[in-house]
Amino acid sequence: MAPVTYLEAIRQALFEEMERDPSVVLLGEDIGVYGGAFKVTAGLLERFGWERVIDTPISETAIVGAAVGMGYLGLRPVAEMQFIDFIACCFNQITNFVAKSHYRWGAPVPIVLRGPCGGGVHGGPFHSANPEMYFVHTPGLKVVCPATAYDAKGLLKSAIRDNNPVLFLEHKFLYRRIKEELPEDNYTVPLGQAVVRREGRDLTIVSYAAMMHTSLEAAELLAKEGIEAEVIDLRTLLPLDKETLLASVRKTNKLLVVHEDTRTGGIAGEIAAIVCEEAFEDLDGPVRRVTSLDTPVPFAPPLEERFLPNAASVAAAARELAKY
Amino acid sequence: MPVDVIMPQMGESIFEGTITKWLKKPGEKVERDEPLFEISTDKVDAEIPAPAAGVLKEIKVGEGQTVPIQTVVAVIDAPGATEQAVAPAPVPSEAPQAAPAPQKPAEKAAEKPVAKALEKPPATAPLPAPSAPPAGPRRDGHPIHSSPLVRRLAREHNIDLSTLRGTGAGGRISKKDILRAVEAGGGRPSAAPAAPAPPAGVPAPAAQVTLETAVPRERIYFGRYEVQPMSMMRQRIAEHMVASKRTSPHVYSVDEADVTRIVELRERTKTEFEKRTEAKLTFMPFFVRASVEGLRAFPTVNASVDGTNIVLHHEINIGIAVALDWGLIVPVIKNADEKNFLGLQRAINDLAERARAKKLRPEEVQEGTFSITNPGVFGGLMGLPVINQPNVAILGIGAIQKRPVVIQDAIAIRSMAYLTLSYDHRVVDGAVAHQFMGKVKSMLENWNENIL
Amino acid sequence: MNGCTPPRHRLPPPHEEQVRTTEQGMKASLTRGQHLELYYYMKLNRTLEEQLERLFRQNKLVGGLYLSLGQEATSVGTAYALEPRDWMAPMIRNVGALLVKGYKPRDILTQYMARHTSPTLGKDGTSHFGDLKMRHVVSPISVLGDLIPVMTGVALAGRYLGQKIVAMTWIGDGGTSTGAFHEGMNFAAGQKAPFVCVVENNQWAYSTPVKRQVPLENLADRARAYGIASYIVDGNDVVAVYETAKEAVERCRAGEGPVLIEAKTMRMRGHAQHDAAEYVPKEMFAYWKARDPLDRYEKFLTENRIWDAKNRAEIEARIERELKEDLEFAENSPFPPPELAGQGVYCQGCHSIEPEWHRPKQEVMPPKASVRAVWEVEDFGSLDQVPRGGKSTAEVSGDGARPPAQEPEKGKRKAKIAKPTRRVKR
Repeated sequence: MAPVTYLEAIRQALFEEMERDPSVVLLGEDIGVYGGAFKVTAGLLERFGWERVIDTPISETAIVGAAVGMGYLGLRPVAEMQFIDFIACCFNQITNFVAKSHYRWGAPVPIVLRGPCGGGVHGGPFHSANPEMYFVHTPGLKVVCPATAYDAKGLLKSAIRDNNPVLFLEHKFLYRRIKEELPEDNYTVPLGQAVVRREGRDLTIVSYAAMMHTSLEAAELLAKEGIEAEVIDLRTLLPLDKETLLASVRKTNKLLVVHEDTRTGGIAGEIAAIVCEEAFEDLDGPVRRVTSLDTPVPFAPPLEERFLPNAASVAAAARELAKY
Repeated sequence: MPVDVIMPQMGESIFEGTITKWLKKPGEKVERDEPLFEISTDKVDAEIPAPAAGVLKEIKVGEGQTVPIQTVVAVIDAPGATEQAVAPAPVPSEAPQAAPAPQKPAEKAAEKPVAKALEKPPATAPLPAPSAPPAGPRRDGHPIHSSPLVRRLAREHNIDLSTLRGTGAGGRISKKDILRAVEAGGGRPSAAPAAPAPPAGVPAPAAQVTLETAVPRERIYFGRYEVQPMSMMRQRIAEHMVASKRTSPHVYSVDEADVTRIVELRERTKTEFEKRTEAKLTFMPFFVRASVEGLRAFPTVNASVDGTNIVLHHEINIGIAVALDWGLIVPVIKNADEKNFLGLQRAINDLAERARAKKLRPEEVQEGTFSITNPGVFGGLMGLPVINQPNVAILGIGAIQKRPVVIQDAIAIRSMAYLTLSYDHRVVDGAVAHQFMGKVKSMLENWNENIL
Repeated sequence: MNGCTPPRHRLPPPHEEQVRTTEQGMKASLTRGQHLELYYYMKLNRTLEEQLERLFRQNKLVGGLYLSLGQEATSVGTAYALEPRDWMAPMIRNVGALLVKGYKPRDILTQYMARHTSPTLGKDGTSHFGDLKMRHVVSPISVLGDLIPVMTGVALAGRYLGQKIVAMTWIGDGGTSTGAFHEGMNFAAGQKAPFVCVVENNQWAYSTPVKRQVPLENLADRARAYGIASYIVDGNDVVAVYETAKEAVERCRAGEGPVLIEAKTMRMRGHAQHDAAEYVPKEMFAYWKARDPLDRYEKFLTENRIWDAKNRAEIEARIERELKEDLEFAENSPFPPPELAGQGVYCQGCHSIEPEWHRPKQEVMPPKASVRAVWEVEDFGSLDQVPRGGKSTAEVSGDGARPPAQEPEKGKRKAKIAKPTRRVKR
């Protein structure tokens, strides 16, 4: 089989789930006739018809609200945010209505909210957001951030089948940049499980989404210097796979967290706290972070390059930590 | 009029208490000030008197439960109670859950969850009193830089970090360094894995000390054994002692006093004294009296330490260690310097009796400025006591024994007692300590006060 | 009506501007039994809320109390028009609607008392509860307007599953100013969702009078902007409310799209118990007191000889008995165990999610569902008075599974990715 892009893997997941289960329907802006701003849903209207691929007005609150109502009748709607930045428009609907529903009155909300996130494509302050932590801080949601085509497909299928609301954040930098061959079987990847992408003994680098690739690149650089970094891909931020994380820290005794999200309040802080609470006596150095700057995502290429972490900055932090 | 019975605040730093026993059942009549229940707190075990006369209407907190101070633990239906005695009804604007406990629903229905909710200590624990943090390993007075991992490995393998050379950043001892030391046979390798760290989120005890286990737990449990949980008093004593040893550098001085005069005086006066005063005559007031003189002469022994401040107490309040079947308590003779001999003897007898009857009031175990302990009572020749914080010194009295002593090159049989002083070297130096002891000794040996 | 005459739609949905009321000759289609049942619910609604007010003052409720005294006819009359298969989502002042949907006073009492026996086990209070399986009630949240898009989704899912249901929710005059209201109504209108939105115009959004929030004569005027049908009804006339809601529900079920009903009524208390509503002119309370929905219905039932003193006494005795039992139940109920606080954030297999299909699934699966993905463009921008030659440039393929309500209305150009599989005549 030919290699499949990250974007195509997502489309395949939607396609296969819609084939498998007529309760799966799609909602979003320009997802039908046009096939979506990034063409993730291209061809799905043709195959599944107007009732299952619904082009909506520019109304993020209505999109999420309607998805919830559909979910209450047992459907499994997948709603698209054209750019994940716009999810701020329906923040109330997600955090107040969706996330609290099962806890308050036992009504599960089996919906997926998916959309392109992330920078590195010169999208500027309103087309590059990484909003994961607003939602990681919201009990009742699940937050998924795939880094590979294989995971994007397998995790999206699990998200659709999950009885809880799942935020599925697709990194648009990866959409067409990464490719891999996918198995033909109907596989899924379970939510809430991290994976070790590269084994190493000297330090652990924890990351997810596009920064997972940056971390792997940095690990290659470090290997040439004799520093063996273990790279963990979180895949799901909520619920967080603490076991994989702690097992690696107990092995390497040093931890570097890398994310594209801004620094203050990013998940690195939470991970550092977990490790300090649960594996303090396994630490042979301080927990370090490499993150984006605490600014909006700037537009001009040199500014955005400065804003984002890269392999060199990750390697530099890792080197220092290895030496510590 | 219903009157609320409140869990009292048994000391400034106390924020909760455990009900150990109810002495009345709901429906029973109680008199005002009649013992109603017994509590156990971090500082003291006590019997709490009823705040009003009437009928015990309801017990809200059962035996064995720990609740925050000011919690209503029972209600007394008091026919004659005045308005002032009645606790104001809570106005539930911010915390309405306190109020709507149903009036009459069956106990099983409504009472249980309420009581359960109260089991938890309040979210805001009091700040620990300032105390010196545990000192890390040091070399030449400088801290040794390592890491949590390194310190753990050092502990597990009995390696003294000050003997290692660090190769990490800035000379830090790194994982590599300690592993090399372990491989080289370092200290005595400890066979078992380290004790598991306490689980996260477990609330710290009220004292600023966590009781640790010095060896891996696996090495404690072997053969046949029985495990007894510590009573609250035992735990507090343990914590208090660990904190004291950790905080105060203890120095010990030993002296010996010829108490023949006192022994003779007591023997001579005992019957008369007890007949006239109806108080038992013991040796303790002699030692208290002598200590008062010593403390007057050397105020730094009658002090406390607050960080870099020395607090010189103007009162002389002497704590006397009283052994109990279930532990130990140190009631305090307040203003001991203002009492005559009989006053001291009465105070000592009264405090000791009430300590054994669990009838001490919380203020009676607080505000000591100096302590005396008496291992001699149990035949001990001498003891080296741990300082009773926040004091800076404690006097230990050994058993009074007849011993041959040399007096003016002649051997004589005299009643002798060893005196020991444990003192906090942060404040009290050896010179002062020995002068203090000299003063006490001289007072005892040359006793010339009337005791009647 | 105000002086402004809105432009007419090409296919004008009906906008009744007359306030509907039985006093102006509106006929009742109700049987005698239904009349008595309606009265029972209204009276129960009122008696229960008066009881709640007493309990609040005795310190027996947890949190705030939001009463609908004076609005009983609107809650009860609208909900009474729904069938058991229909879905509704109450707002905080729709205790009456919950009673009609089959909830008991004990459900509301235990909710307000935060007991473990309440529908939410003590995790939420007030009318914040629901039931997906049996009663088809969606729980509201405190944020206003959010239910409009949610109930739109309910309506769309019901249609998708072939259930022929109608979804109904309520919103106050204040709530119509939210973005969610607008997004939801607009989406419902675009999708022709079978959705009835009852705007309960109780004259006050907390302390602000309706005219200072919305510069419209009637809140029903908003419907014109969404291109949907609307009615205005005397919200204190339960028969008029019921007949209007019934008509709206039937139109929805017939596929005519959403309907907005403005029910003019009055909140006879403050926003909640802490609010004495001193900002309301005394004359205004007097005006509405004279139009009390219960008084009016009692008069109606008597004048039309629908009931006699015995019927009335029976209903009152039944309410007294039921309330007494339920109050005892609620007061004897325990609070939830503290450990419940940490439970139930996620569904971990506690629910199985299985939609109820009332149509063949093949209709929504390929090949039957497959279509030619091209917009049907009806006009090119309406610069001219008369739409010109508005036939589509493309046809829709598939097996005709596309319901008329799903027709996308406007678009600009033909999509490039269209790949017709089969052509079938529409």
